[in-house]
Amino acid sequence: MNHKGTKNTKSNKRGSLSVLRVFVVRNLRYVLLFPALVFALAPVYWMLTISLKTEVDQFATPPPWFGFTPTLAHYYDAFVTRSFGEYLLNSAIVAVASTACALVIGTLAAYALARFQLPWSLNRRLSLWILSTRMFPAIVTAVPLFLMMRDFRLLNTLASLIIVYTAFNLPFVVWMMRGFFAELPRDLEEAALVDGDSRLGALVRVVLPLVAPGLAATAVFCLIVSWNEFLFALVLTQTDAAMTLPVGIAGRVTQFEIKWGVMSAAATVAIVPILVFALALQKYLVRGLSMGAVKG
Amino acid sequence: MPALFIAPALAVLLSLSIYPLIYSVTISLQKETPGGVVWGIGNFARLVSDSFFLTAMAHTFVYAVAALTCEFLLGLGLALLLNSQIRGRGIFRASLLVPMMLPAVVVGVVWRLMLNPNFGAINGTLKQFGLNTESLTWTASPKLAMVSVIAVDVWQWTPFVFLVLLAGLQAIPQEPYEAALIDGSSRWQTFRHVTLPLLKPSILIVLLLRTMDLLRVFDQIFILTEGGPGFATETISLYIYRTAFRFFDFGYAAAMSFVLLALTNVISAIYIKFLQAKEEI
Repeated sequence: MNHKGTKNTKSNKRGSLSVLRVFVVRNLRYVLLFPALVFALAPVYWMLTISLKTEVDQFATPPPWFGFTPTLAHYYDAFVTRSFGEYLLNSAIVAVASTACALVIGTLAAYALARFQLPWSLNRRLSLWILSTRMFPAIVTAVPLFLMMRDFRLLNTLASLIIVYTAFNLPFVVWMMRGFFAELPRDLEEAALVDGDSRLGALVRVVLPLVAPGLAATAVFCLIVSWNEFLFALVLTQTDAAMTLPVGIAGRVTQFEIKWGVMSAAATVAIVPILVFALALQKYLVRGLSMGAVKG
Repeated sequence: MPALFIAPALAVLLSLSIYPLIYSVTISLQKETPGGVVWGIGNFARLVSDSFFLTAMAHTFVYAVAALTCEFLLGLGLALLLNSQIRGRGIFRASLLVPMMLPAVVVGVVWRLMLNPNFGAINGTLKQFGLNTESLTWTASPKLAMVSVIAVDVWQWTPFVFLVLLAGLQAIPQEPYEAALIDGSSRWQTFRHVTLPLLKPSILIVLLLRTMDLLRVFDQIFILTEGGPGFATETISLYIYRTAFRFFDFGYAAAMSFVLLALTNVISAIYIKFLQAKEEI
């Protein structure tokens, strides 16, 4: 629907002013969108510049948005001299492992919920129940999970985070994949079943290749969520051996003397994989973000 | 056979979502005393008279209502602007989405760098234009701290509202608009009687999801202000965190977390009721 301005019907006889006004009204959308764009991106760009500036430039007034001499010293400092390399590796391990676990467990459940007719309308009830577990505020389960992990002596281990993130991503995987399976015609897998394939065989050989794009999008969402997660990581890990990148960065922020360059360098590195992933799945973004809740 | 497929998922959720809740109920009903563990509802009784808890609740409401209002109005405006043929729409859309993809910790870092009173980009740029920025200490000022953290939330999450509403707008068919055009309705009338009703399901969903997230907000505030200065930006999640992991009063923290859980459940139930009412018509 075109919402082009009609305000320019107002007559204004003063030549150039009127031309300007017509131009502004015609291009109202751009005039309004451009500040939004600057507002969205400038802060992130500012952080990038801080990560590349020498300390002198960081504290300079007026603030240099452009035209400073870039340096990679803060990146070296963060990832070679300090432990951010380790945190980066921890984050990657936790994100990949928990995504893999959630995908395997969640896809199986989603397939069953989409394809088998369960008694007592369990399909619908189980699906809703699974979704509802995702709705708990994180802090509600953080307290008991901390105590449970302490009892199992899993505090400060990557395993604790992998376990928690698997459970955290699972409802999401089930809902996304259930939707993708439901959209798929049954004929193909039924043919495979007739040919003597087992259910699991039909799922792996026939169905999964067909939902591969959906599976990939789901995986990327899980990776992003695990990569970004902060509260559980903060509660469950406090040592270098298990700390993830967000907790490592946060630890630097709340210290007394803050190394702004190091912090910005680490934060910049933390957003690189996210931006790459996000670009890859623009198409699935809305569906993923509203988590299939639309279908309730 | 189906049981085998579903069992692993159920086992994971039962042990890591449901069992922790039950565990949390038991610790909320316990109190450590020198004479051993005492059972009772002491932790819940304490809630009513804890002025910190009540203040944190009030902060959470202020934060949620203010951020939700701004995000919704801005997001709707942007969605309406971009729901038409304009040049460079893809670039606009992709760029607007950047803030919401960022880890909350990075959002905190970004805005600490922007808002820092001494070398931050905002005060530095204002000074360049000759403005006096001495009183603008943003997150360090008791008055401006709440405004600052709300603005940061708006910065990060307006794109999400925009994205969902844009998808909703694009799913609306052309016919009602053509009918409205023939009837000679004004643009406002068309918006009010065609666009808004057809967009209602998307609006309710996005409000529901944002409300849930706003009520539990933790990460950015933790990085930006840690609830300070003083108690100025302490929301309920931060207060629960502090109670559990700074004061190690797990029982009381668990009790407070149930209030938060009940609150989010009630509010989401109301939204869902509205959603279903819409579907039946």
